[in-house]
Amino acid sequence: MRAKNFYRATSLDDAYRKLSENPKNAIIAGGLWMKKLGQSYDTLIDLSDLGLNKIEESENSIKVGSMVTLRNFETSPLIKEICGGLASTAAGEIMGVNFRNLATIGGSVFGRYPFSDVITSLLALDVTLEFFPEQKMSLEEYLNYRGKIQGILVALYIKKDAGTYFYKKVKATALDFPLVNIAITLRNNKHYIVVGSRPMIASLAHQAMKEADAGEDASKVAKTAIGEYSFADSVAIGKDYRKEISEVYIRRGLKEVSK
Amino acid sequence: MEVRFVLNRTEVVLNVRPDEYLAETLRNQGVLSVHIGCNESNCGTCTVLINGKPSMSCSVLTAQVYGKTVTTVEDIQEEANKIADYFSDEGADQCGFCLVGFALVVHALALEYPNPTDEEIKNYLVGNLCRCSGYHAQMEAVKKYLAEVKKHAKK
Repeated sequence: MRAKNFYRATSLDDAYRKLSENPKNAIIAGGLWMKKLGQSYDTLIDLSDLGLNKIEESENSIKVGSMVTLRNFETSPLIKEICGGLASTAAGEIMGVNFRNLATIGGSVFGRYPFSDVITSLLALDVTLEFFPEQKMSLEEYLNYRGKIQGILVALYIKKDAGTYFYKKVKATALDFPLVNIAITLRNNKHYIVVGSRPMIASLAHQAMKEADAGEDASKVAKTAIGEYSFADSVAIGKDYRKEISEVYIRRGLKEVSK
Repeated sequence: MEVRFVLNRTEVVLNVRPDEYLAETLRNQGVLSVHIGCNESNCGTCTVLINGKPSMSCSVLTAQVYGKTVTTVEDIQEEANKIADYFSDEGADQCGFCLVGFALVVHALALEYPNPTDEEIKNYLVGNLCRCSGYHAQMEAVKKYLAEVKKHAKK
């Protein structure tokens, strides 16, 4: 990665002003994926001084500042309480602690990475994103949004739903990207089925979710879900294998969350 | 650009490039214990402690540690020597290139988890790769070191 300048923003207004000055300016967050991409920037904008590294509880939701590290997110008792701890489990399987102490939850979500474990798990929960200037949208809306949001991700609001979950990151080695990842939750008597890294970005299988809610058999629901998704080949794994293992894990996951 | 942080208990003010990574800065400062392995956020060899937390110094810009504390193995020499001895006793230390990163992570593990399970140890160390040995010997070494830390804590 190359950058001509590094700027420590003093407020969200200040950060947004700087971001808008030049299309080659960017928010750095943790900066892990930026290093991998190796692109050139004019000014990197750092949000470290803006108090966005807090996890706070309100009546219905947990507010997670976008600069919270994956490690602090994973180990937070508040996050572990949401739906049996799905988001905590998924974040805890990403690389090692020395990586997760740097990577941020905001960077992980804003990038809409197709391989993201964070996004797959959060999509199976009720998550709203807050941007600056003021704009709120659900995580699903954000993932489906065409084009780039011209704003700064400030916080995530995760609803404090109780429930059960299933999570499977299929990977070749402990530090690998997921070959496919599956998150299923049962919250408030409703099922949520998410498959990511297909290798496209995670999405909900809405038709299959309706069938699961109607009490259809897990095998039928898994088949419906697979039909809703597109799969593709990548260097690591073929699309047919991705499809096969996804179906198996969805079936197992549905049984698991209903136990 | 000017960056100010605390390196091994001493405040330093350094002039660095805005896109300079911490591992490079530390090595330029003569802190040669910081080894750059893969330089791709993968192997953990370059691990240092930032505000006490294990972090890959190849993947964080020096500008990002402004105002923070950075600890390398030089600052925990006594503990590092003990950890190295346990690794050596178990045959877990061969070329030694990865050991500096391991020592810092094991040290942080001991502080964060007074009674870690095997699973917690594995989860904490998974981001540190060793290409000489298997991990069984390292696991044994870490467990013996942690037992010693616990014994001293009780006294």
